[in-house]
Amino acid sequence: MTHDVSVDDEMAKHLLQEMLRIKIFEEETKARYEEGEIPGFVHLDRGHEGSHAGMAAAMRDDDWLAVGGARLVGQYIVKGVPLGEIMAELYGRTGGSNKGHGGQMHVSKVDRKLYGHAATIGSGQNPAVGLALAEEMKGTDNVAVTTIGDGGTSRGSFHTALIFAAYWDLPVVFIIENNGWAISTPSESLPPDRLSDYGDPVNIPTESIDGSDVETVYHTVSEAIDRARDGGGPTVIESRVARLNPHFEGDKETYRDEEELERALEEKDPVKNYRERVLEAGVVSESEIEDIIDTIEREVQEAVEYARESPDPEPEAAYEHVYKTPLYGQGEQE
Amino acid sequence: MTREITYIEAVAEAIDEEMDRDDDVILFGEDVEDFGGNFGETAGLHEKYDDDRVRNTPLAEIGIAGMALGAAVGGIRPVAELQFADFAATAGDEIFNQIPKQPYVSGGSLEVPLTIFAPSGAGIGAGAQHSQSVHSWLGNVPGWVVVTATTPYDAKGLLKSAIRDDNPVFYLPHKALVETQGEVPDEEYTLPLGEAVVEEEGEDVTVVATQVMFHRAKEAAADLDVNVELINPRTFAPLDTETIAESVEKTGRLVVVDETVERYGTQSHIANEIVENHFFSFDAPPKTIGVKDVPIPVSPTLETEVIPGTERIKAGIESVF
Ligand SMILES: Cc1ncc(C[n+]2csc(CCOP(=O)(O)OP(=O)(O)O)c2C)c(N)n1
Repeated sequence: MTHDVSVDDEMAKHLLQEMLRIKIFEEETKARYEEGEIPGFVHLDRGHEGSHAGMAAAMRDDDWLAVGGARLVGQYIVKGVPLGEIMAELYGRTGGSNKGHGGQMHVSKVDRKLYGHAATIGSGQNPAVGLALAEEMKGTDNVAVTTIGDGGTSRGSFHTALIFAAYWDLPVVFIIENNGWAISTPSESLPPDRLSDYGDPVNIPTESIDGSDVETVYHTVSEAIDRARDGGGPTVIESRVARLNPHFEGDKETYRDEEELERALEEKDPVKNYRERVLEAGVVSESEIEDIIDTIEREVQEAVEYARESPDPEPEAAYEHVYKTPLYGQGEQE
Repeated sequence: MTREITYIEAVAEAIDEEMDRDDDVILFGEDVEDFGGNFGETAGLHEKYDDDRVRNTPLAEIGIAGMALGAAVGGIRPVAELQFADFAATAGDEIFNQIPKQPYVSGGSLEVPLTIFAPSGAGIGAGAQHSQSVHSWLGNVPGWVVVTATTPYDAKGLLKSAIRDDNPVFYLPHKALVETQGEVPDEEYTLPLGEAVVEEEGEDVTVVATQVMFHRAKEAAADLDVNVELINPRTFAPLDTETIAESVEKTGRLVVVDETVERYGTQSHIANEIVENHFFSFDAPPKTIGVKDVPIPVSPTLETEVIPGTERIKAGIESVF
């Protein structure tokens, strides 16, 4: 099955490059985690690369991203957080985006308009509505995009966010990354046929798309963002992808059908598929792709070096950032 | 006869035995079926008891906690799992306003014999929203029986009692203890709720500690030249102050260490209970030790800084002499 390339050459290269960046960064993350260099949990994004890259390519730098689901790092990458800062944050070092206070589940970067993630799954959508409200109040035409996994859509907080966004017609794009699983719970067992149907009762326009096709994601999210920017209110998009790795590193996936996984790896790998597609369309050559990969591998190695060399925080840093001081009235405000 | 098993095996045995004993006991929560729970706590139960009694839920703690409340009022004995104790907050109204208050406001006519099972605590680098010890949150809401498990022996005996108790019980194992080993009787047993236990007798100072802090306090005591009486409260609400007071009457000194945040925490409550009612037993002011007043950071260096370590506990014990 071949598809034509529906974006210009520059965008096609950009999309491929972003997906490869996620994939290569995460392969290295897995290796570093297995070597014991990264503390805590690691959740990887294999299968979601197209959804992440397509979404971000549709956004402007000034649009907010409130990250959700459990496939996180790829979203930080496509929102432009420097790889070194992400890696150092995974290591819990001072050079990390959050200075080692947050870790893998909480990377945030305000100057990239990356709100960060609620590690309580499904608590990021109402804040996204608030971010959109703030943009509207300030008179900008910036929008807020927020992602959530299939699992997270069962939370009441998600549905409340839809109602609030619809109530004020706020510029929010809700992207449900349905990868078929919430840890061991299949999304098929959830009631709606398409998870985007959750937008129907609140009269939000919906789309359900093949999220492993990066261009489809790019076009669909672009349209939703354009509508939001023009005052047309929120959209709910179901981006159907496959989860091509365990929920977290260490999950043995005993609940998963091996054949289904094999098939998904064969058919739903967004990086492999897009690489073949742009090659076939003659947008890039094999050697150009090799060059791109070389460059990214170097960037990723630099990120690892940066993380390794970045100092551990001083213990006293634990007490920073709890409050902004002085409290009002206690002294000179900054 | 006893045998050595892990803490999490003890938990799984407790649920299994209670489900076997009483058909009204059911289990639900996220990933409790074939996945077996994040730590293996529900391994094998779905196979044994089937879909009716072991149920995966969608991802929503409001549903888990709220449904447990209704099912309990309706005559079932649910064991409802939250994957991490921190997520109690995502079912805030159910856990703080509904479950602990419905029996009371009904004038005692509604019974809520449910157990919430919620792994708590720090030490696995899981960050601010997956590492908290929440028994101070719950202890602050009268109506909950709040239970923590320190050893495999506790883990099993207390969970069985929690399931049998007619009150809502919030049962908190500690994530960093799941692989620890300990002696557990072959025979069936339960442990009383609402009672503290003197784990090690001593003459010089009373140290109150639970879960990981208990093990660290034990290490600290072994390193010091004082004779420590070590008390494990087991149940934080209602709290057995009598056992602690009796001990302080003997030792004249009190150190309370717990993995809850110090500000408005369990430590100061326990110390206050004893100081206010047994002031003249004291030879020195009591010492309280807890998690520093900050969210739990992910960096291992920072996490170690804010969670009480053996050295801080040692210094705390020394400070009352
Ligand atoms: C409120 C809350 N409940 C449970 C969890 C534990 N947990 C983490 S990820 C996850 C599954 C999430 O599934 P989904 O939303 O589909 O995202 P995906 O993993 O597929 O990206 C669960 C149950 C959590 N972090 N927060």
